[in-house]
Amino acid sequence: MTGPAGVGIGWRPEIAGFVAELPGLRFVEVIAESVPATGPLPDGLAALRERGVTVVPHGVRLSLGGAEAIDPARVAHLAAVADLTGAPLVSEHIAFVRAGGLEAGHLLPLPRSREAVAAVCANVTRAQAELPVPIALEPIAALFDWPDDELDEAAFLTEILERTGALLLLDVANVYANARNRGGDPLALLDRLPLERIAYAHVAGGAEQGGFYHDTHTDPVPRPVLDLVGELCARRRPPALLLERDGHYPPADVLRTELDALAAASGFPAVT
Amino acid sequence: MSTGDLAARQAALVAALVAGAPLPPGFAAEPVAAARTALLRKRAGEVARHWPLLAAGLGARWPELFLHWADGRPGAGSLRDGWDFARHLRDAGTLPPLGAEELAAREAGHRYDGQAAPRPRPLPAWGRAGGAVAVQLAGRVRLLRPARR
Repeated sequence: MTGPAGVGIGWRPEIAGFVAELPGLRFVEVIAESVPATGPLPDGLAALRERGVTVVPHGVRLSLGGAEAIDPARVAHLAAVADLTGAPLVSEHIAFVRAGGLEAGHLLPLPRSREAVAAVCANVTRAQAELPVPIALEPIAALFDWPDDELDEAAFLTEILERTGALLLLDVANVYANARNRGGDPLALLDRLPLERIAYAHVAGGAEQGGFYHDTHTDPVPRPVLDLVGELCARRRPPALLLERDGHYPPADVLRTELDALAAASGFPAVT
Repeated sequence: MSTGDLAARQAALVAALVAGAPLPPGFAAEPVAAARTALLRKRAGEVARHWPLLAAGLGARWPELFLHWADGRPGAGSLRDGWDFARHLRDAGTLPPLGAEELAAREAGHRYDGQAAPRPRPLPAWGRAGGAVAVQLAGRVRLLRPARR
């Protein structure tokens, strides 16, 4: 299957009907944990595959950044879903989601330390040994930092990518959210990241609450995030951009407008 | 700051976020508290998807009531979280009728000991909550009597 290309959207059962009717769509993502390893694929996804739409399994619970070794059963599941979908690559996060026997329920940030780099790289290497396709790693949005960072974000991410040979899944909304909540210049970060390693980029909406910008995936994509998409594409346009929406699904015409705005900001053809 | 013990430090952070443990030293309190609340809100949304009638029965009070109950209580997955919360409301006498009917139907279909994943009941069984009565026969659950309103 060809790699991700153009404007895509995160496939979710709730919007399967909407996604099925996007005439120009060539690329979707599916949450890997939502697909049974033994199949079959959900009907809507199978139909997209028959149309030649690229499907990328996106894992959210592997916990690549955990100090412990990743669970081989979870890697096997991700590998099975990659086979089922005929995916050209899979993606996961530079984050941890559980520790000490407790599930956090979300992606948590790592300390930007040499020890954390080593832990992530060891787990990515373990995953790569079992996966049938390359993996792209996504830096997450977080509201807080660890107290004793040894590296800055660009150095931390670049070192992980170089040591593992992994691709980059850059989430533009995460770059925006982190700059808003944790400080730093988002353009300076773009200037220092290895943009040539980007397999595709994420874009999502968010909202202000309690003095923080929350990357909710349930609100509209704000203008500054679209502007940052433009800044990224002006530096080096990634092969594909994917809209993530995970709830409070708006009417179809609103979602189409969001996809069109993404196309306009990047110069890719509209898929609607 | 201690280094070289990433596992213990990650465990301490998760415990502070989901189990009411103290904030590990060096972290800024306000952003971590915001993250803790965001985690609880996300969890409330996920539980509401698994327990739609319970959430609908509580209406606008759902997020606040769920957050209050769930704060400091580690998640056990949306099915069990909603089940535990519904039983808590039942025991407190504040389970709304829609939630009682949903709980009765779940109790009829599955055996849940509050500790491990619910298991399907192999034999015909009843479920009751708040006056609602549900019956399960050969895996099919039917509400026999609605909850008191």
